Amino acid sequence: MALKTEEMVLNMGPQHPSTHGVLRLEVELDGELIINVKPHIGYLHRCFEKHCEAMTYPQVIPYTDRLDYLSSMYNNFGYVVTMERFLGIQVPERVEYIRVIMGELQRIASHLIALGTYGLDIGAYTPFLYCFRDRETILSLFEMTCGARLLYNYMWVGGLSHDLHPDFVPKCREFLKVFKPNITELNNLLSYNKIFVERTANIGILPAETAINYGITGPMLRGSGVKWDLRKNDPYSIYDRFDFEIPVGTGAQGTLGDCWDRYFVRVREMEESVKIVEQALDQLPEGDINAAIPKRIKPPVGSIYGRVENPKGELGYFIMSDGSTNPFRVKLRGPSFVNMTVFGELCKGHLIADVIAILGSVDIVLGEVDR
Amino acid sequence: MPVKKRKKDFTLSEKLYIPEIMKGLGLTLKHMFKPKVTMEYPEVKFNPPAAFRGRPVLVQEENGVERCVACGLCARVCPALAIEVQASETNLDKERFPERFEINMIRCIFCGFCEEVCPEEAIVMSKDYELVFRNRNDAIFGKDKLLVPIAKLHDRLEFLRNFK
Repeated sequence: MALKTEEMVLNMGPQHPSTHGVLRLEVELDGELIINVKPHIGYLHRCFEKHCEAMTYPQVIPYTDRLDYLSSMYNNFGYVVTMERFLGIQVPERVEYIRVIMGELQRIASHLIALGTYGLDIGAYTPFLYCFRDRETILSLFEMTCGARLLYNYMWVGGLSHDLHPDFVPKCREFLKVFKPNITELNNLLSYNKIFVERTANIGILPAETAINYGITGPMLRGSGVKWDLRKNDPYSIYDRFDFEIPVGTGAQGTLGDCWDRYFVRVREMEESVKIVEQALDQLPEGDINAAIPKRIKPPVGSIYGRVENPKGELGYFIMSDGSTNPFRVKLRGPSFVNMTVFGELCKGHLIADVIAILGSVDIVLGEVDR
Repeated sequence: MPVKKRKKDFTLSEKLYIPEIMKGLGLTLKHMFKPKVTMEYPEVKFNPPAAFRGRPVLVQEENGVERCVACGLCARVCPALAIEVQASETNLDKERFPERFEINMIRCIFCGFCEEVCPEEAIVMSKDYELVFRNRNDAIFGKDKLLVPIAKLHDRLEFLRNFK
């Protein structure tokens, strides 16, 4: 006679150390197997979109920093690129190059956090520290340029807040030289580590079709084998000038689209970012960075949607103007938020310990999920 | 609901994770002999570069008068509404001066817009990063705390001249 079992609801979070912020997961369990996961978000809601309506256009920029606070540069980038298209501003070459350099360094920094904390979540403490060591160098580069370590407010509509420090280029090259062997070190320590592979391969499989249906973007989509990157597919700024590849998941350690694939796409993306930064540093022209900054930002009546490839996926700004100095409406399409939607689907049928592994591979930042 | 079955019976060789663990430990051991990357913070203070955006301060000229002419641009541009300026008239050349100048350090987001917009280079971001308050009233910095002699701000003023 079979024993009667009862389903159980377990709350994971909001203070769970592996939820990467204040996120509550309502997990329905059958023994140790997951029936359903319901994420409860909004603990970090700060009314970003509504708040923008009370700001002038440049004043929104410091608040975009605070969305996905691990990739602030890229949030700035997305906003200013959209605004420049709205206003029809052509920014100087030097500005474009500096933006790409900063954006790609930020991508490396963001992925380092993603990879490091992913290891940390499932029990590998050491790689986390090595990832932070490399990220620290990037933050110092940012700090030397714009004065902040996390919330930069660096890119302005039509230009940049400060020009590069003369030491920036040599220091950046030095960092890239040191960083390349460090990726190999990380691979040996974590990526191909048997314990890690056992823990992540064949877990949380996301088929390409499901990913597309859910509107998943970024490394998660590419981990499922879909070659989609806005830097190539819908080039903005000057990304069409650089030679780089879009890494996609191959299912090398398990099934295509599992946690390991998503993890490894990020590792390979860092290599590609290094390539882009190297090329941009070689081509970096001289010039005035403030030439195109408009005195007063007053876009025409109408609306615009601009999107960029944030480290976590497609970051889109929908900006609606009524002709005044304040935006009438700002809507943000955040990659973490959209990637989060598929989370319940991924967890179904797995063990409870895998929830953490899957959540880490989704790589969310609650600052942007909740806004 | 389809429940996925997982392969759970590893062989003995698969269960032995010792080589992997040793590899990690080996790397750690190697790093023990490399130079340290950490800083022992409270004992060793971090010296920020000139670009650093710390606490905003008012520049005090050598004669002890602040540069600020109380135009109120900083208060207007501040996204967090942290600055409050009350202007008054003076017999000096600049004609106007801030009778009251307050920055609410709880509100301040260190974006640097006030410094950017200031026509007189009167408000600049300093290198101070240790901001601790015991209560909310202490966090409202008046002129007494904001005024900093120009001698201490040369780094920043020079940086602004070169890179802005």
